[in-house]
Amino acid sequence: MRYAPAILLGRIVRKLARWRKPGGGSAIPGLVVNRIAPGFLPRSLNSFPGGLVIVTGSSGKSTTTKMLVAALRAHGTVVFTNQSTANISQGLTSALLEQASLSGHIAGDIAVLEMDEGHGALISGTLTPRVVALTNVMVDQIDRFHDSNMVAAMLAKIAARATGTVVVNADDQYLTDLAARLPVSSAVARYGVSADVLADNPRGLGYSATTATRLDAGEGMLLTSVQGRRATVSIAGVDYPLGLPARGTHYAVDALTALCTAQAALGDRFDPVLAINAISAIPPVFGRGEIVTVRGQQVEFVLVQNPASFQLNVDSLEPKTEQILIAIGSDVRDPSYFWPVNTSGLGRVRIASGSKAHDIALQLVYDDVVVDRIEPNLGLALDDFLALPEPLAGLKTIIFSADSMRRTRTHLGLVTNKEEQE
Amino acid sequence: MTRPLSIVSLLPELLGTNGDAANARVLAQRARWAGADATVVEVRSAADLPDQVDAVVVGSGSDSDMVRARDILATMTTELRTWATAGVPILLVGTGWELLSWGIELADGSVVEGLGIVAGRAVPMPARATDDIVVASRFGRLIGFENHRRSYVGGEAAPLGQVLSGSGNGAGAEGLVMGSVVGTHLHGPVLAKNPGLADHLLRAALARIGHEYLPGDDSLAADEMARAARNQIAVRLGLPME
Ligand SMILES: [Zn+2]
Repeated sequence: MRYAPAILLGRIVRKLARWRKPGGGSAIPGLVVNRIAPGFLPRSLNSFPGGLVIVTGSSGKSTTTKMLVAALRAHGTVVFTNQSTANISQGLTSALLEQASLSGHIAGDIAVLEMDEGHGALISGTLTPRVVALTNVMVDQIDRFHDSNMVAAMLAKIAARATGTVVVNADDQYLTDLAARLPVSSAVARYGVSADVLADNPRGLGYSATTATRLDAGEGMLLTSVQGRRATVSIAGVDYPLGLPARGTHYAVDALTALCTAQAALGDRFDPVLAINAISAIPPVFGRGEIVTVRGQQVEFVLVQNPASFQLNVDSLEPKTEQILIAIGSDVRDPSYFWPVNTSGLGRVRIASGSKAHDIALQLVYDDVVVDRIEPNLGLALDDFLALPEPLAGLKTIIFSADSMRRTRTHLGLVTNKEEQE
Repeated sequence: MTRPLSIVSLLPELLGTNGDAANARVLAQRARWAGADATVVEVRSAADLPDQVDAVVVGSGSDSDMVRARDILATMTTELRTWATAGVPILLVGTGWELLSWGIELADGSVVEGLGIVAGRAVPMPARATDDIVVASRFGRLIGFENHRRSYVGGEAAPLGQVLSGSGNGAGAEGLVMGSVVGTHLHGPVLAKNPGLADHLLRAALARIGHEYLPGDDSLAADEMARAARNQIAVRLGLPME
């Protein structure tokens, strides 16, 4: 009953916070409890019988976590996880409070946490995860005050806490180096793409540094093919088909990471077919290759959050897509941001929009992309784009930055999925 | 035109953090729009250097890659010096500029020695400069984005221009012009955003091989987009529109 007063107080604060602002105040109870009972968070997270699994890295954390949770639940495991972006300690504590009994016990077999690399290093000193999964090291302009070495060092701190297995992307040079420096007591599970998959992505997978050689089938799980929303993974020499929530090699790598981590967490209980079926059943992701019906027609939404995802999305567009609207908003503070991307694959863009319409149009024309029109007013651009006749090939496709995505969804009266706004 | 214009992008990965390497793409595209054939040659080591070099672009990178980038650039010191002397236009952005100077003083007091090709050196500033920057220059009013934590001293004799908004070199001036070499803190697509500067470099490159430069029709449309983008920033900063 050590934590009963803190938990009770946390619940009261939560009630008060909601009473003041319905639906809000989710981090406040956590803040209060962390202040009066700093041991609550680590003790609760370390107490799950099946242990704690941490997913961290520069990119792909949310999707990987979502897939991993689905794969674990498919095995009948009861999973505690941090939904939405409550991946800071207050948010986590608040989420735990929702489910804690007064003794501080939380129902569940296993905890799965998505952790930002920075926050992870901050709170991981008190955590004893059984499995730590590392996605990749990418540094883009959002992160430009952090260089790759700094990110790798933060991830190494988290990985060093693992009592069981560290799951490592074998295509990422920083993570491969990190794994080589782990204490010999740590088990390492590796996953990677085949040479063919890498060759299909001539500009690479966006990692800060890619390893020179590919993983062998005997050394870990492999991604052996990606075609649209279909992929093939090779597990212990057997090929399995896999469905993805959106087109793109990065989603297939997220699924591979989730499978490799599920195997590390479940051990002998891991059944690849159960895990793959659960991942394949995940509905399409909002805003990243999501297909929505608007004003009686199908439209594909593609969210670009950094140069690497922009490049991968340009390269994985359905060939011959002829109706594209691109909208870049004020969230892209420095228009230099996207210039490392080669946008020539877009061919023709019907409308460039958003508050950075002129800047993105400028880049497009230097890449030989035809830009029919520049319309900074996004509402007007959307209305005119949707009024165009049905495309001859591909779907009407809207590529947007996060800010333009929110404005687009609001303008079109679509709900916004908070989980996907990182 | 006897042969395509050969535009070298030096260390496009190590020194291309902010999309600065794209300036080579911009020069090549403007040359093509003017009816001249042009290719971008990405150079990662001296072995990649083409026989003919008509223009060179060096961008900025992260400080953790600085010494590695310097060591590779140092193997091309003779070539860089030869090009600069021969009037080959060279655009240096951020770290790329600093590495070709006398040297870079770091916050901990240590010094990364530069190649000594341009006058001056980089010294730490009290705070990082991250913002839009506007510069009055003889190539027109230049507008771009700066993000650096070192100022530049010793190049006062020949700045690129005077700062109207932002930090630049640190004492009212921005950039450096030494013959055909231009150094600047305006990172990213400075040449796309400021075609006046782009055309100055391109005119010099073409003149060296006996060609006159007349901007192509397609560049007019692009330059109109650039002007609109520049005006957006000027308005926000309370400066007159162009
Ligand atoms: Zn996410």
